[in-house]
Amino acid sequence: MDARMDIIVQVDGRQIAASVRPRMLLSDFLRCHGRALGVHIGCGQGVCGACTVVLDGVPVRACTILAVQADEATVQTVSSQAALEGFAGEGLTPLQAAFREHHALQCGFCAPGLLVATAVFLKENQYPTHEEILAHLNHHLCRCTGYANIIAAITSVVR
Amino acid sequence: MTPAPFQYARPKSVAEALALLRPGAQFLAGGQTLVPLLAKRALRPALVIDLNRIAGLSDIELTSSHVKMGALVRLEQARRDPDVGTELAVVRAALRHVANPVIRRRGTVVGNLIANTPGAELPAVAAALGAELLISFQDGRTSRQKVGERLQADAMATHVVWPRQGGAGGFSEISRRDGHGVLVSAALSWGPDGLSVGVGGVCTAGLACPQVALLLTASSPGVPPVTALAAALARDVADQELHDDLHASATYRLAMGAEMVRQAASAMAEGG
Repeated sequence: MDARMDIIVQVDGRQIAASVRPRMLLSDFLRCHGRALGVHIGCGQGVCGACTVVLDGVPVRACTILAVQADEATVQTVSSQAALEGFAGEGLTPLQAAFREHHALQCGFCAPGLLVATAVFLKENQYPTHEEILAHLNHHLCRCTGYANIIAAITSVVR
Repeated sequence: MTPAPFQYARPKSVAEALALLRPGAQFLAGGQTLVPLLAKRALRPALVIDLNRIAGLSDIELTSSHVKMGALVRLEQARRDPDVGTELAVVRAALRHVANPVIRRRGTVVGNLIANTPGAELPAVAAALGAELLISFQDGRTSRQKVGERLQADAMATHVVWPRQGGAGGFSEISRRDGHGVLVSAALSWGPDGLSVGVGGVCTAGLACPQVALLLTASSPGVPPVTALAAALARDVADQELHDDLHASATYRLAMGAEMVRQAASAMAEGG
């Protein structure tokens, strides 16, 4: 009854063609078919932010979208972090470097979603206030850092 | 988590979408409410009809009397729209509190109004302003209905129309965390017909409060004491079913309804 559909999705610059069932979530598709293992699956219901990716230029939570909805679309995960930050240099992007410098991750589970979401957040709001940074983080669950180091990392990039 | 099996269709027009509609089918717009429910298997539709590839439903139009939003207008798109800012200040104020910016990029205004949960912001605003959904039926008929009225099985909401306000708007809410479900909210808006007031979370659906609006108008530009507002609100909810759940009792919700009106009115009086 749930016939497979052939879809093609551009994932971090690679063309991924697969035959998937409609019920497959985009988050599962990206990991299983796209081998985009930077997409972390936390709550699976759009709450924790770990699976945040950029779909056709718009940040989304991949677990709240069906894979078939992304047919013919372009997805950027944390593997496209340099492009998302507009960073042309070598090695870690400014945000990644800041996260390392400020010890903004411990287990690292929330980090890919945070990096992707923060790259878009800072592109749209170059000089966020402290309150705006807190509001942005309000919707990403991190169970290790207590957020203080994440706030410090993001603040250091803004300055 | 993986949803239970379903068939999937992505029509290119409203007519095609309506032709697919049958018992057990479910429309998918933003999916920010629906897909988590599918993943938790709280819903098991036989068919999911994805509206996202229908052209012409993503526009915000300004008519002489209304602001008209298609069923695919995203919450964040509406929040950033300049016409919404000037004509529907109260809607813009409420949208800031809806979920979070990433969810708002995908979730839709119409979807949020149809879901119409007591914990949502927009239904209270819709009640205050008397916003209406434009409905298309399978047999080709069209009609309008108030937000909160149940959609018929052969119907699709294609747009929402909000009466143009043009005046100041205010919105206050209590939630356990910003961006999470509202316990109690109040929406105030000055329009061509005077002040409109709505409360959310007090009754099982968003409620227009003409008695509160009368009192506030009479006291304007001052703000009446919360006891007077509570008395007016009690008259507005007189024949309504009060909302009561494990997060907050009906008594608390009623008391806070008056307080949220006071806060929204005070913020508006200060030009905030």
